[in-house]
Amino acid sequence: MVELLVPAGSVAMVEAAVEHGANALYVGPKGWSRRRDAYEVTDEALREAVRIAHAGGVKVRAGINTHPTSAELPMLLRRLDVWVRDGIDGVILSDVGVMAAVHRAFPTLTIHASIGANILNDEDIRLYREIGVSQVVADTKLSLKELRVRREIEVGVEVLIHANKCYTYLGKCWMSPYHRLERGQDETGKDFFKGSPNRGGLDYRVCLEAWSLWRGNRDRWADRVALKNDAFFLVDDIPPLIDMGVHTLKIQGREYAVDLVGRIVKFYRDLIDAYAADPQGFDLGPWKARLAEIQAQRDLERAKGTLDLFEEARQPVHGCL
Amino acid sequence: MNHELFELNTTISNMKDLMASDLGPYDAIYLGNPYCRDYEANFLEELDDLRAGIRHCREKGRRVYLTTYAAPRNYFLPQIRKAIAVAAEEGVDAVEAHNLGVVRIVRREFPCLAIHVGGFANVYTDAGAEVLRDYGGTRVTPNYELSLEEMEGMAKSTGLPLEILVHGKVPLGISDYCFLLEFEKAWGMPCPDLCQQDLFLRQGEWAMKSVGKGVLSGRDVCMLEHLPRLGAAGFHVFRIEAISEDPAYRRDIGTVYREALEHAFSDPYEIRQAWWQKIQAHAKVGLCNGFYFGQSGQLYIGNQQSAVGRQLKVIS
Repeated sequence: MVELLVPAGSVAMVEAAVEHGANALYVGPKGWSRRRDAYEVTDEALREAVRIAHAGGVKVRAGINTHPTSAELPMLLRRLDVWVRDGIDGVILSDVGVMAAVHRAFPTLTIHASIGANILNDEDIRLYREIGVSQVVADTKLSLKELRVRREIEVGVEVLIHANKCYTYLGKCWMSPYHRLERGQDETGKDFFKGSPNRGGLDYRVCLEAWSLWRGNRDRWADRVALKNDAFFLVDDIPPLIDMGVHTLKIQGREYAVDLVGRIVKFYRDLIDAYAADPQGFDLGPWKARLAEIQAQRDLERAKGTLDLFEEARQPVHGCL
Repeated sequence: MNHELFELNTTISNMKDLMASDLGPYDAIYLGNPYCRDYEANFLEELDDLRAGIRHCREKGRRVYLTTYAAPRNYFLPQIRKAIAVAAEEGVDAVEAHNLGVVRIVRREFPCLAIHVGGFANVYTDAGAEVLRDYGGTRVTPNYELSLEEMEGMAKSTGLPLEILVHGKVPLGISDYCFLLEFEKAWGMPCPDLCQQDLFLRQGEWAMKSVGKGVLSGRDVCMLEHLPRLGAAGFHVFRIEAISEDPAYRRDIGTVYREALEHAFSDPYEIRQAWWQKIQAHAKVGLCNGFYFGQSGQLYIGNQQSAVGRQLKVIS
């Protein structure tokens, strides 16, 4: 059975995920994941998340998918030792050096290569396998045809089914910190790199601003140019993804309200179960209508969040190392 | 510093640009456009041109490297293998790989070739550089977000030569989608001419350069004031990122940095006014170097504040 992996930006979201049928969930230890700190969890909350999840038969992955500084790597390994003892079932990593170091220090720990690793082709996957990765998140831009051949490589494939597709390849973009980067250390000594999705997690989404396009300095060619950034909520593709043996279907959204995440999890749980129960008689029609309602609530929350980020991106920088 | 002690290099996408460019200021040339397979006569697609281009650089006494696609999907790989095979036959000095899969291909299938790990490979940590060194990497361009302090540590820790972008547009992102194609009809200008029009995305005082699938800084990275620090730290490979610029930019900026690098260890290092004038003439929206100093990338750190944002005001 395909695994349904869902976000948990708080203990309340962990409870909702377990209640609504997740098979696995991911949390971001504060300071180390690709989200702002408000959607990450303290060590205490991580322990509670593991307790609740395991009691419900749900696995927990720790998203440590920003790139730390080299100086922070020893601290990361010390922190990871605590999280492993607290019972996490795997880690989600982006940095190839961190993956190798974690695999050396924790050889039995399952390593998932994050969407931030931007894995695009089979040779990428083979390299990650060689350094100790057992499951990879496929880039959101890959087609079903491209995903199909991954079965030939002994690796678990994880596909995002409810997420946003950036204009750029995820992990290969530093537009946000180019415009605003705030440095400083949290109470544990971790640099928060506010504004850098790759290093600190928070992305100001500057690509979504209303840009004008100019030729040189004088010719204004177009206004409100959109750098294509589409939300996608897969329904049609889920049956073929299950049929081709994809290991995990993943939902993004630690930043959304708990009730919304609960609705999303339940929707996909029900859909997967319905298809598994009767693949031949499965009808997509009703599922599309149900998803439309969820999508409207999700779009509203995201739009509000984006406007707040635009405003924040224009604020003066206070922290500086 | 002199020719033997440092390398100044740049990138050229196709034969037309190569023939129009004065290679005089440069020690080495990267051939190919890593952003787009449809870029006009991209060396990575036009293999006869690639062969001729490599020979041209050689005849001019330049080292020559092949760059490769920064975000290659499975269906890119056969063409990448062909381009690397031509490069290997012609005896290029190295292949630049931005993608870890391409690093693995070169390592396994072309073991005689040196590998330069490119800026899109996301080398953020010493540990990451060490992994890629074990895969045959002989030079690394760290991710552009890293500070000089971090790069100095990486060079010491790994023993790898690091390539430093000293001037030009710093890459900020890469996409599989060219939004410029949406304007082909409206502007009466088709691909592959569109992305060569010196296009800037602007929002208030913010600016980024667009080459269709690639997004680069609007401001020009400028490390002219900081060359002595780079030299003292042991860096000796410097890139002028002029892939989206015209031959005049490549010539003028290259000449400035050639002269400046040769003087960088003289005491005191004095920046000539003529250098600033040339740099300012080519910088359409000002200068930047903030990432190198742990700050927002678009900031400029240095004494030449007059050079910053001089032309930032949007003319409406």
